[in-house]
Amino acid sequence: MEKVLSFFGRPLVNIVEVAGHMALLFYSTIKLVFKKPFRTKLLLKQIEFIGANSMSVIILTGSFTGMVFAFQSYIGFHKFGADQLVGTVVALAMARELGPVLSAIMVAARAGSAITAEIGTMKVTEQVDALNAMAVDPVHYLFVPRILAGLIVMPMLNAVTVFFGIVGGYLVSIKVLGINKTLYLDYMYTYIDFEDFANGMIKSVVFGGVVTLVGCYKGFMTRGGAEGVGRATTESVVMACVLILIFDYILTAFMF
Amino acid sequence: MEYAIECFDLHKSFGTHKIHKGIDLKIVKGAITYIIGPSGTGKSVLLKQLCGLMSPTKGKVIVNGQDITVMKPEELVNMRKTFGILFQNAALFDSMNVYENVAFPLVEHTKLPKNKIDAIVAEKLRLVGLSNIEEKMPSELSGGMRKRVGLARAIALEPEIMLYDEPTTGLDPIMCDVVDNLINDTQKQLGITSIVISHDIESTLKIADYIAMLYDGKVVLYGTAEDFKTTDNPYVKQFFSASKEGPIKIM
Ligand SMILES: Nc1ncnc2c1ncn2[C@@H]1O[C@H](COP(=O)(O)OP(=O)(O)OP(=O)(O)O)[C@@H](O)[C@H]1O
Ligand SMILES: [Mg+2]
Repeated sequence: MEKVLSFFGRPLVNIVEVAGHMALLFYSTIKLVFKKPFRTKLLLKQIEFIGANSMSVIILTGSFTGMVFAFQSYIGFHKFGADQLVGTVVALAMARELGPVLSAIMVAARAGSAITAEIGTMKVTEQVDALNAMAVDPVHYLFVPRILAGLIVMPMLNAVTVFFGIVGGYLVSIKVLGINKTLYLDYMYTYIDFEDFANGMIKSVVFGGVVTLVGCYKGFMTRGGAEGVGRATTESVVMACVLILIFDYILTAFMF
Repeated sequence: MEYAIECFDLHKSFGTHKIHKGIDLKIVKGAITYIIGPSGTGKSVLLKQLCGLMSPTKGKVIVNGQDITVMKPEELVNMRKTFGILFQNAALFDSMNVYENVAFPLVEHTKLPKNKIDAIVAEKLRLVGLSNIEEKMPSELSGGMRKRVGLARAIALEPEIMLYDEPTTGLDPIMCDVVDNLINDTQKQLGITSIVISHDIESTLKIADYIAMLYDGKVVLYGTAEDFKTTDNPYVKQFFSASKEGPIKIM
């Protein structure tokens, strides 16, 4: 009995512990956002790193997803002669679901991992101690600019993903599949609302927070040399991706 | 006598590994105290507890009359302005160049204009025997140079209490002397309280006002250099004579 309890109990306690710890860290980060000094330069650097440098990968992700999605949905719609609806479906899926989720996963893989590796290295080489030693709060110095940048940049990257997804879908539908252009656009305009985009935007703000918070948290908790940094980096990407999917479900259920 | 730091019955364990088993140590204000002892006895860990970077498992650390083991994180951050710390591995910020590293505490905690900061940085680097390396990144420096940049950064704000973790390890003999003199001079000129961890017996005996020797989680002897020269404490004798025969176990 005891064994069974500890088999299921141990991981559960761990999850609750990590979740609690992260929530606390997030809370103290948010409190510290409004505390001086404002490190504008660090914030801009992170915006450049998380945002600008992710651009090419985001454009690729968006356009290829849109293109593939057009092909796949065409197969279904063509069966009952609703070819013109492909555009609507592509746009809807991109705006509400694929844009926010895929861009967030890309950022987790690119920037989230790098955040963990950087802070983790600082941790194991005592640079975090050095910040502390010089009376600079590491959470204020390291977390705030990164998480703030995540919250700001993620929706923008989402917009880019969605835009290129729709463009990719359009090109495939019109140029490759030969769907009627006027009907395609007409249907898209009629059935897509501002709300669909707003929905995705809200999601991506949350995801931006999740990816950067997990990146910072995992880095900050790193122990044990270069190996520890490697482990933390992997864990950070996995954890961020899983949390993105979980939060995606929660948010979708809420905003349904 | 006035004390800058006092610790009472300090215990520290990592998991089941007991590092400190009841350390009582008083650091005299305005003096230089050396902490010596074999590698791995917890000198660095002790130093980190003295400035609140690590919290002891049990016991009290009083800095300027305040118990830092019960402080809130914000209070701790503030309290650390009292300290300048040289880490054993220098702990330079590797995303910043030498200039930015040394200027960091000045930029963070003072409102000095840029030209003032430039002057202080140049001055501190000169004190540690470095020049024209402001633009270099830490990864481009030798170990000894890195250590000296770390030293320049630690003294930039002229703190009340300086903690040096092996300031001369890895330096050539001439640079050792330069750094020894620097420790001595900063203390004499500014009345700074200094705590130095060192493996260099000769300079310890030369510079230290007080010495504490650590072994097996306890202070085995505390006293002046004279006390240490004349003691018949077997641990100290073995350590000073660099012999493997004696009560200190080689693990
Ligand atoms: N963060 C940590 N987690 C677990 N164990 C630690 C940690 N830091 C230090 N230790 C352990 O504490 C002991 C003392 O380490 P410490 O670095 O204080 O030694 P030291 O006296 O400074 O040695 P040296 O002269 O070689 O620098 C070592 O056995 C080390 O393994
Ligand atoms: Mg040490």
